[in-house]
Amino acid sequence: MSLAEPAALPVATSAPPRPQILRRFSTRFKASLPAYLLLLPSLVFLALFTYGAMGRVLVDALYQRATPRAPVRFVGLDNIAAVLADSAFTGAVVNNLVYAVGTAIPSIGLALLFALALSRTNAVTSALRAALFLPVLIPMVAASALFLFIFLPNVGLLDYYIGSLLPVLPNWLGDSDIALYAIMVITIWKNAGYYMLFFLAGLQAVPEDVMEAAHLDGAGPYQRLRHIILPELKPTFLFVIVIATLNAVTQVDHVFVMTKGGPSNATNLVLFYIYQQAVEHYDIGKASAATLLTLAALMGLTALSFRTMANREGGS
Amino acid sequence: MLFSRRLTLGLAIAGTLAGALAFPARAEGPTEIDLFFPVPVDGKLARDMGTLIKEFNEGHPNIKATAVYTGSYDDTLIKTRASIKAGKPPAAVIMSANFLLDMQIENELTNLDSLIAADGTTKEQFLGQFFPALQGNAVINRSVYGVPFHNSTPLLYINADKAKEAGLDPSKPPQTWAELTDWAKKLTKREGDKVTQWGIAIPCAYDYCGWMMETLTMSNGGRYYNEEFGGEVYYDTPSMLGALTWWNDLVTKHKVHPPGATPGPAVSTSFISGNAAMMMLSTGSLTYVRDNAKFNYKVAFIPRNVRNAVPIGGASLIVPAGQEADKQKAAWTLIKWMTSPEKSGWWSRATGYFAPNMAAYKTPDMVEFLNKNPDAKTAVEQLDVAKPWFATYKTVPVRKTLEDEVMLVLNGKKQPKEALVAAQKAADETLKPYNAETSLKLP
Repeated sequence: MSLAEPAALPVATSAPPRPQILRRFSTRFKASLPAYLLLLPSLVFLALFTYGAMGRVLVDALYQRATPRAPVRFVGLDNIAAVLADSAFTGAVVNNLVYAVGTAIPSIGLALLFALALSRTNAVTSALRAALFLPVLIPMVAASALFLFIFLPNVGLLDYYIGSLLPVLPNWLGDSDIALYAIMVITIWKNAGYYMLFFLAGLQAVPEDVMEAAHLDGAGPYQRLRHIILPELKPTFLFVIVIATLNAVTQVDHVFVMTKGGPSNATNLVLFYIYQQAVEHYDIGKASAATLLTLAALMGLTALSFRTMANREGGS
Repeated sequence: MLFSRRLTLGLAIAGTLAGALAFPARAEGPTEIDLFFPVPVDGKLARDMGTLIKEFNEGHPNIKATAVYTGSYDDTLIKTRASIKAGKPPAAVIMSANFLLDMQIENELTNLDSLIAADGTTKEQFLGQFFPALQGNAVINRSVYGVPFHNSTPLLYINADKAKEAGLDPSKPPQTWAELTDWAKKLTKREGDKVTQWGIAIPCAYDYCGWMMETLTMSNGGRYYNEEFGGEVYYDTPSMLGALTWWNDLVTKHKVHPPGATPGPAVSTSFISGNAAMMMLSTGSLTYVRDNAKFNYKVAFIPRNVRNAVPIGGASLIVPAGQEADKQKAAWTLIKWMTSPEKSGWWSRATGYFAPNMAAYKTPDMVEFLNKNPDAKTAVEQLDVAKPWFATYKTVPVRKTLEDEVMLVLNGKKQPKEALVAAQKAADETLKPYNAETSLKLP
C-alpha cells in the first residue's frame, strides 16, 4: 500500500479526497507497522500450524479414492455424508455427549465445593489446595497408566478395597456398560482441582463490602451463597463450562492408553474416531470430514459462549 | 525508522539460521540410516536394541545406523507412513508381520528380490534360513517383502502348583478343548457366587483379541482369512462359530473364565498373582512370567478341538518404498546382520520371542540356554503346526470388526452366531473397494 502511494500522487490534478484518505491510511499504517512486524512471527506460525492445517483438512475432506490403487478424486460432500452415516461416528458423538455432561457437571460441582471450602488462605487450606491440585500436574498418559492398575479386575487396587462389598467383581474397563464411566471418573479426578483454581480466583472478586452488608443484614450462609456469591461467579462458571466442554472433546489420552475406544466402541470418543479413520482405516478423506464437523461444532460453541460473555459484560 | 537497524540485524540472523537448516553441510562420511523399532512388550527391549545397534556400528565403519523408538506396533505403522508421506522414509523398520500385505497393497514396501539376487543367493536359499511357518507373512505374490526378526506363537500357561493342589498332573497338560474345560472347572474356586480363582483367562483387547480368535478357530480346524488373497475373511463359518461359542461357554455356561474383555497385561498380572490358574498368552510373555512367577509354572501347546494349529505373531524387518539406493544397500546390510543366527539367538534370549533363523538354535549359546530353560523349547516345537498371521487389505479395521463383536459376546450382549454374521458383514464392507479392483474386476 505504501509503495503504491508515490505513483498515485502525480495524477491527482483536481485534488479529490481519495489521495488524502490514502495518505492518512498510509500514515496510520506506518505508525502501526512495528506492531504488525512484532505480530508477524506468531502470525506466521499460526498460519503454518493452525490455519494451514485447517485449510489442508478442508481440501482433504473433499477428496476420496474409489479403490486402493486409484488416484484420489474430487467427491464433494460425499465424505461428510459417509461420516454422518457411519454408526461408529454417531456412537462416538453420543458417547462424547454423555462424557461431556458426565464429566463437566461433577468436576465443576466439586471444584466449586473445594473453592468455597478453601477460600480463606492459611497453612492448612494451602496444603489442601496443593493436594487437590496435584492430579492436574500428573500428565494424563501417566495418570491413565496408573489407573490401568487401579482398575485391574480382581487384583487391582479398587477391587482389593471394595471387592468384598460387591456381590460380583466388575471388569471395570472390559465391560461395555461400565467402561465409559470408569474413564469419566479419571477425567473428574484430574480436572476438578484445575477448575477449583478458577473458582478461587472468582471468589477473590466477590466484593467484601457487599458480603459484610449482607452479614449485617442477617443473611445466612446459604442466602449469601445463593444471592451474592453465585451471581458474582457467573462469568467464572461460563468460562469453566467452555473449558470443560473443550476438554471433553480434546483430551482423549486416557482412551488411547486404557481402552483404545473399546470394548465394542463403548469408550470411543470423537477425536479417537478421527484417529482411527486416519490411522487404522487409512482413510484421510473421512478423517478430515469428521475433523471438519468437530471443528465446526467447537467453533460454534466457542462463538456462542463468547457472545454470552460479551452480552453479560455489556449488560452490567 | 527506529526499528530498522535492529530489524535488519534480526532478519540477517534469521536468514542465516534458515539457510543453515535448509542446506546442512554435506560431509563425506558413513551412510547414515534410521531404523524404526517398536517395543510391544516392555521397556527393557529399548536398551537391548541400543546394545545391538552399537555393536553393528562398531563392526561396520562405513554405515552409521540410528535406532529410533517408535512406540507400539500400531504407532510404528503410523510413524512409518507419516515419514513416507513426508518423503523421508526410514531405511528399515521392524514392522508387525501382519501389516506387510496392507503396506504392499498401498505401494509402501520395497521389493527385496533384487537385493537378494545382488548377493548371489536365490530366494529359496534366503528364505530357507527361516522357519517355514514365518514365510507366509514375508512373501507376497512370490516376492520377498520382509525378513522375519522376532516371532511368537500363543501358548497355554499353567500354574503347576495350583494344578497339583486340584489333583491334576501338570506334567500331562490338557491336549483337547474337552480336557482344558475339565481342568478349568477343577481350577475354579468359588465363595458363593463370587469367583476367587478363575480356571482360565484368555485376553481380548484390540489386536490380541483377533489373534486369539485366529488361534481358537485354527485349533477348531478353520482358517481366519484367505492366505493367498487379501480380500476375504472367514468369520461366518462353522469353525469360527465353534471357537467363539466355546469361549463364550467358558464365560457364561461353565463360569470358569472372567467375563468381559480383558487386555493382555491384565491377564498376565492375574496369572502372576494367582488369580487365574491358566492363561493363553504369547510366547513373548515367557520372559516376564519366568522373571515374576513365584510358583512353578508349565507351558504347553494350545489344546485342539479338531487339530493342533496356531498362528504366528511378531515382527519382520522391512525397507519402506522411496529410499535412496545407497541407504537401501546399507539397510540391507543391517537387516542381514540382525537376522543372522548369532544376533537372532541373542535377541531371542533377551526378549523371549523365538529366533526366526533356524540356525540360531544350533549356536552353542542357544543350546546352553535351552538346556537351562526347557520351557523356551515349547514355542519352537509348536512351530511345526504354526501358520501365518491373518493379513488382509486394511488388516486393522477388518480385524476390529470381529473384535468388537467378540467383545459384545463376552459381555453377554450378543449370541455368537449373530455376532459373527454382523462381523462378516462389516468386514466384507471394508474389503469391498479392494475386491472391486481385484477379484471382481472382470474383463
